[in-house]
Amino acid sequence: MSNNNKSTGHDHVSREQENGNSRRAFFRNLGLIGATTAAGGAAIYSGYQYEQSKPNHDFVKVLTSDNRLVEVPRDQIKNIKVDHNQLTKLGREGLKGHRFVMVIDLSKCRNARKCISACQSAHHLRPHEYHINTLIMQESQNTAPYYMPKPCQHCDNPPCVAVCPVDATFKRQDGIVLIDNERCIGCRFCIAACPYSARLFHWEEPVMAESDKGKEYNIELNVPQRKGTITKCLFSSDRLREGKLPYCVSACPNGVYYFGDENQDAVTNGTSKETFRLSELLKVNGGYQLMPELGTKPRVYYLPPKNRLFEFKDERGQEKETT
Amino acid sequence: MASEVNTDFLHNKKLDSIAADILRPVGITQGFVVWMGFLGVSLLGCIYAYYIQFDKGLIVTGLRDYISWGMYIANFVFFVATSLVGMLISSILGLIGFKWVKPIARIAEIIAVAFAAIAGLVIVSDMGRPERLPYVFMYGRIQSPIIWDVTVVTTYMVISALLYFLPLIPDLAISKGRIGHTPKWLQSTYEILSVNWQHTPQQYKILLKAMRILLILIIPTAFAIHTVTSWLFAVTLRPGWDSTIFGPYFLTGAFVAGSAAVVIVMYFVRTNYKLEKYLTHHHFDMMGKLLVLVSIIYLYFNINEYLLPAFKMKTAEAVHIHDLFVGEYAFMFWCVQLLGLIIPIILLLFKVFRKPFSMLVISIFVLVAAWFKRYLIVVPTQDHPFLPKQFVPDAWMVYHPTVIETAITVGTLLLVIIIITILVKLFPVIPIWEMAEEQTGNDESPQD
Amino acid sequence: MIKRYLSLLIIVLISLHLSAQEWVVPAENGARLSPFAFSDSTRKAGAELYNTNCKSCHGDPGKNNVIKLVPPPPDPASAKMQSNPDGALHFKIAEGKTPMPSFKNILSSVNIWQIISYIRSFNDKYVQKTQTKPGGSGAAGENAKIKIAWLKETHQVQTFISATKEKVIQPVAGTEVKLFVKRYFGNLPIDEARNTDAEGKALFSFPKDLPGDSAGFVQLIVKLSDEAAFGEVKADTTLAIALPTYRPPLNEKRAMWNVVQKAPIWLLLAYTFSVLAAWGFIIYVFLQIRVIYRAGIRKDQ
Repeated sequence: MSNNNKSTGHDHVSREQENGNSRRAFFRNLGLIGATTAAGGAAIYSGYQYEQSKPNHDFVKVLTSDNRLVEVPRDQIKNIKVDHNQLTKLGREGLKGHRFVMVIDLSKCRNARKCISACQSAHHLRPHEYHINTLIMQESQNTAPYYMPKPCQHCDNPPCVAVCPVDATFKRQDGIVLIDNERCIGCRFCIAACPYSARLFHWEEPVMAESDKGKEYNIELNVPQRKGTITKCLFSSDRLREGKLPYCVSACPNGVYYFGDENQDAVTNGTSKETFRLSELLKVNGGYQLMPELGTKPRVYYLPPKNRLFEFKDERGQEKETT
Repeated sequence: MASEVNTDFLHNKKLDSIAADILRPVGITQGFVVWMGFLGVSLLGCIYAYYIQFDKGLIVTGLRDYISWGMYIANFVFFVATSLVGMLISSILGLIGFKWVKPIARIAEIIAVAFAAIAGLVIVSDMGRPERLPYVFMYGRIQSPIIWDVTVVTTYMVISALLYFLPLIPDLAISKGRIGHTPKWLQSTYEILSVNWQHTPQQYKILLKAMRILLILIIPTAFAIHTVTSWLFAVTLRPGWDSTIFGPYFLTGAFVAGSAAVVIVMYFVRTNYKLEKYLTHHHFDMMGKLLVLVSIIYLYFNINEYLLPAFKMKTAEAVHIHDLFVGEYAFMFWCVQLLGLIIPIILLLFKVFRKPFSMLVISIFVLVAAWFKRYLIVVPTQDHPFLPKQFVPDAWMVYHPTVIETAITVGTLLLVIIIITILVKLFPVIPIWEMAEEQTGNDESPQD
Repeated sequence: MIKRYLSLLIIVLISLHLSAQEWVVPAENGARLSPFAFSDSTRKAGAELYNTNCKSCHGDPGKNNVIKLVPPPPDPASAKMQSNPDGALHFKIAEGKTPMPSFKNILSSVNIWQIISYIRSFNDKYVQKTQTKPGGSGAAGENAKIKIAWLKETHQVQTFISATKEKVIQPVAGTEVKLFVKRYFGNLPIDEARNTDAEGKALFSFPKDLPGDSAGFVQLIVKLSDEAAFGEVKADTTLAIALPTYRPPLNEKRAMWNVVQKAPIWLLLAYTFSVLAAWGFIIYVFLQIRVIYRAGIRKDQ
């Protein structure tokens, strides 16, 4: 049985490398294998004793379930089948001890839309399916228009989660609101409830439905996407588990995004990788939240669009705007 | 409602003539077959439309991310609303002691059962993953109004079905020997459903007690079912939905739609089955008064619901109100308010319009307007989210129901009509024993 | 007509204004040279780094497809860019100047030199001058070491830098030291960068309100800025000097939005009671139908 598992495991590895899939995904898979191994006890060590006779110094980084990066010899990794339920359980629990926050500096946004494309390619979405969208905002006739990137606000009092009939959307201990598209019944109550229009529905087969067929569902990436279910911004929780910044945050060329942990009072800029104190950043720049009067308690903060780095240019083209 | 039944009517000759009148149309007639055939063939087309939707996804509807609830949800609210009339007529009016509701009560319960039963199906047609319906029971999250709704709709449907069935039992027993002209299987159905009814005083006593329990139980259930349905909207933060009067607003609106539906069915039963003796002008007159009463209450709630935001003109509410009063939805809005509410109220104040045919016409207007009213509650609010709609295809900006969507909606209406037709045509539509008891009682104790 | 003159005047003024804001590079930075010779491999590595970090604004070198901004970012192949000495390019990439972002936290010094080697490949006339003494050892000392101490009374972190100079371990004076606290996504700078005193010491005041873990532990990281002289030198240690912070999981409490297991108690009770009551009556009625049925049988007999 272990032989069988091993061979399928190797196949898996070689396929990943062949089609040049990201190395990260590979590590992640290994990491989750590691995680389940760790949960199962000292499986690695028993494997270690068993194969000690073989000298091999090829080490592989493995991410454990408590989010530590450890190295184990490559030939001693036991390729146990990824327990799908375990994976979903980890995704539902979230990362212990963290409260993730995002800060968006509106003075730096020039609607480059790199955040959007990075997000869409990571989450297998069409160009008009937005986990994050950059909106053209104008509060009133005489105030200046500005660009406003709008991800899910990951509210601490999430109206969308409150109405879900089947626990398909839920809030984790680290503040992230996720979707389980294997649970979602597609009633779209959450879309109706969200005041930020942050959610979208797969009205048709998702764009990569064919190539994603048979892939293990990753609740933290929401891939494969499924027809007839909801999807939304996940704060790239798969990346956070690895200690990396979200896709959109790292993709921004203009330093718009800061992302970090409220518990550590620190946010890191996705472009310059500089780290700042969250409280300081919000205090100095007059940070605010979107529609706080609704009582949703968003985990996304905005810095006002003053002293802007770029001229505002209306790039909507033919698209209409409703105000 | 009397707590005891005087079984003298069983030996009264009137029973025979009443039973003969009411049972004459019962059975499988040619008209019934043609009508059901027409409904069935049309339904097949609608089922095919649903198959397309199931296969391709909700992309075949006009719904998109901004307006993600449309015709289906409006239709669901309409169905739940219309079904509430069962409670209003047999329970509230019956318990108060209005005798004139007796021949209508069963029609009201038929409408309640049919609409409540299909309301669940309507919701399934709106689901992106209908095959996951069992998840609602497996993983139900009791904080969600959908779970409350599923619970109360089921409960209401069962109570309504029982309220239809219980008073039918003595009728089935009376009818058993008198429906020789109907097919064998229908006769044996009567036999089984009459649960050994022997008209003993004990059986009547149990029956009345059970009815009384249900008639009281259905009041909170009916209030719950439509209040909870209104909460599907009122629990959100959206302008147009974020309202504290949505519960009573929906409830009173439901009575309007339901009363109109009862009048329409009454009219067809009366003319098709030649039951003018039992569904008299007096009944239509009373139903007209009832309809005008509930319509005035509903108008009062409408004024509350629209005048206050229109007075204050809060940013988001103002966009919504503007759209309804003079914008994109203005034509539909004013048609609904005038043709479905204000003009019927004015007309029905005059006795001359409370005649069967004019009541039918007015009720059709009221019922159709009631459907569009639900559409106006569901759709325009989503048209104006708090944040602008940008960088999406043009088709996402607006909602136009598609042919497939319409066909599926029509299909659910056909199902309702099929259920109503079966119950009206194959079973006594007017309570024979209650009519007989009443008339016997009137004869023997005129001083009462 | 007046309008046209006016706009012309404005343009002239703006360009004057812009030229007045010429990017000044400190002389010592401008004179710096790459510690290694540029080669095909450095150019290749540089090209890769350029494409991920610079291309979105500066375009493909020589193709003049830079992004439209005011002022426009120069094409790397242009004379304007190539007229910069190596050290000036290094300084500008590392520090940035609005709207050009700073890359010192993203790219290592070596990475920046690799990008410069790639940029220079578009200049045929370029002849590289390399640093005569790679690593700049000798003058500053070798094998630099960092020690970290906590001064509780003054709430300060003290660092002590020493290096081997002429085979003797000596304190390093006048070199720049930076203190960081490790956070989940990056290192948070603490206080300003400091120069060591004659004893090789530098003091950093540590904020009193910085959250640590539940026991107040934080990981401190100390780095030497002068990578050219010492190479990459850093030290880290974990001390219980921050504010002990425990924040409970956000989904700990019962709430309307929480999972069904954490539904509010009143709701659980109200829902259960209502459902049981209603269905209790319904079941009772069903049982009554059975009683009716039984009564009928008795009558038959």
